[in-house]
Amino acid sequence: MRGLSWTPLIKASMERDKRLWRIVLLTPPLLVFSVLIVGPLLSSFYYSFTNWNGFSSSYQFVGLSNFQKIWTDRLFFQATVNTIIWMVSALLLPTLLGLVLALLLDSKVRGGKFFKTIFYLPICLSAIVVGQIWIWIYQPNWGLLNTLIEEITGERFRYAWLAKPDSALFSVIVAWSWQQTGLSMVIYLAGLTAIPSEILESSASEGATTWQRIWYIIIPLLIPSTVVVIALSVINSLKGFDILYIMTGGGPFNSSDTLAMHMYNESFKKYLIGYGSSISVVLFVIALIIIGIYFRQLRKFDQIYGQ
Amino acid sequence: MFGYKKNNDSGIHSWPVVIFIILLILSILFLAPTFGVLLSSVKTTRDIALGELWKIPNELYFGNYVEVLSNPAVGQYFVNTLLVTVPATFASIVLGSLAGYVFAKLPFRGSEILFLILVSGMFFPPQVILIPLFRLFNSLGLIDTLWPIFLVHTALGIPICSLLMRNFFSTIPAEVREAAILDGANEWQILTRIALPLSLSALAVLATLQFTWIWNDFLWPLIFTQSDEKRTIMIGIVNLRGQYTVAWGVQGALSLIASLPTILIFLFFQRYFIKGMTMGAVKG
Repeated sequence: MRGLSWTPLIKASMERDKRLWRIVLLTPPLLVFSVLIVGPLLSSFYYSFTNWNGFSSSYQFVGLSNFQKIWTDRLFFQATVNTIIWMVSALLLPTLLGLVLALLLDSKVRGGKFFKTIFYLPICLSAIVVGQIWIWIYQPNWGLLNTLIEEITGERFRYAWLAKPDSALFSVIVAWSWQQTGLSMVIYLAGLTAIPSEILESSASEGATTWQRIWYIIIPLLIPSTVVVIALSVINSLKGFDILYIMTGGGPFNSSDTLAMHMYNESFKKYLIGYGSSISVVLFVIALIIIGIYFRQLRKFDQIYGQ
Repeated sequence: MFGYKKNNDSGIHSWPVVIFIILLILSILFLAPTFGVLLSSVKTTRDIALGELWKIPNELYFGNYVEVLSNPAVGQYFVNTLLVTVPATFASIVLGSLAGYVFAKLPFRGSEILFLILVSGMFFPPQVILIPLFRLFNSLGLIDTLWPIFLVHTALGIPICSLLMRNFFSTIPAEVREAAILDGANEWQILTRIALPLSLSALAVLATLQFTWIWNDFLWPLIFTQSDEKRTIMIGIVNLRGQYTVAWGVQGALSLIASLPTILIFLFFQRYFIKGMTMGAVKG
């Protein structure tokens, strides 16, 4: 292209063409996105300043009183803490486990394809199915977990994992991690195949131990995969509403309530749409902070590794 | 891998066995919950209620499958779920490809910011827009139809599809597009005849992820549908839990059948999946 001499006229017409195509191609996705995502987001902000109950045709502006109520809502505080615990552990556990599985599978072990399919399988199951299986695993009298503990210790063990405030949230996190590990494993496996084998061979010939190789070469080279894993994990953990809804419903005594669950209960069980909307706004702000941190780190990473 | 052995030949030979055993143990642990669903589907609800679920059965009971397959509602659930999942998967990938192409090949002033806004759409909790969406679809008279579920999944899929397609399209050399333009092709032809055929593995990744997410979704059908004729399969599974009685065995059988499409999709696209992830997603 550089070899050809473009007349300004052709250039101008190409530029005009480009502009036209941008509009033609971008309008459908942006239109759908604006109408169904951005618009509703803005009206959620609007409702958060009202006392609308969801069905009556009239409602009043109540200013910031919904947000003031949040500060005095003990359940809200609990739900926020749980949301943070949920998001952090729903990020860390599957990511780490997926990385370990990918490293193990990358060693060209016999039956690798078979193992990979087994570890990925839970992703194909829905939260509904996963929730029900794990309810049966945690069942106090005959659940798999307590049965195994009884077999090993030889003593009667009837702990109700999902019915005790101390363990309910954590038990759901375990089930969640079991389901999500396969996804990060697949992405890490893809990342591993992208690492040039010469790098690994030359490090081996220079006498690096496997452990050193993993820590100093493979893991740094997997950072781009980690970026993707984190993005998908965050998306998925925000969808974690379903599994909590099935397994605990936020209980017992709201001990596994998250903000999404709290919002659902206030809006659709108590019909406090205004108040529920203000919870959504707070949830959105928390998500915004996470997005901000994520993109900052991404930019920093881009500068270091120069894509 | 485990242990701090020097990387000499004798060390290498013992590893595969150790790794194999570790993987075997892990895979049994991983398979156990899924096996539980299988067990529940071949036991009577009475046996499960008596706490017999985790015992290996002496004889298999297929009554649950008979009951599920002879239930006309189940067929309707499947049809509804397919009617939502396939079009929404397709539409979100098409819209994401359009946006991804512009961001990758036709950048303009401010397109980076626009792209960032679009992509950040995948990070916020969908529950935030639940109430306004309900109101919107209610005013359009679309509640208790499949339309809202289809539309919402299409919209929610646009960010991830745009991201992946943009990354994939950027790996196509600029010269390819320029050569096509010299040959008189327009952007639409470049997108459909060159860029998309070169991105089959990205399309496979998105098809797998989107299909799985939409098929398994519980929240939106729960909110947007009310009558049994419009429910999707996931709601159907939960509906089998009656007020006082729970048909666990039937639920297990239906759960297993309901998971088959997503498993088949993964097995089918698996080959492209790894490749697509390597090229599209990992090269940020």
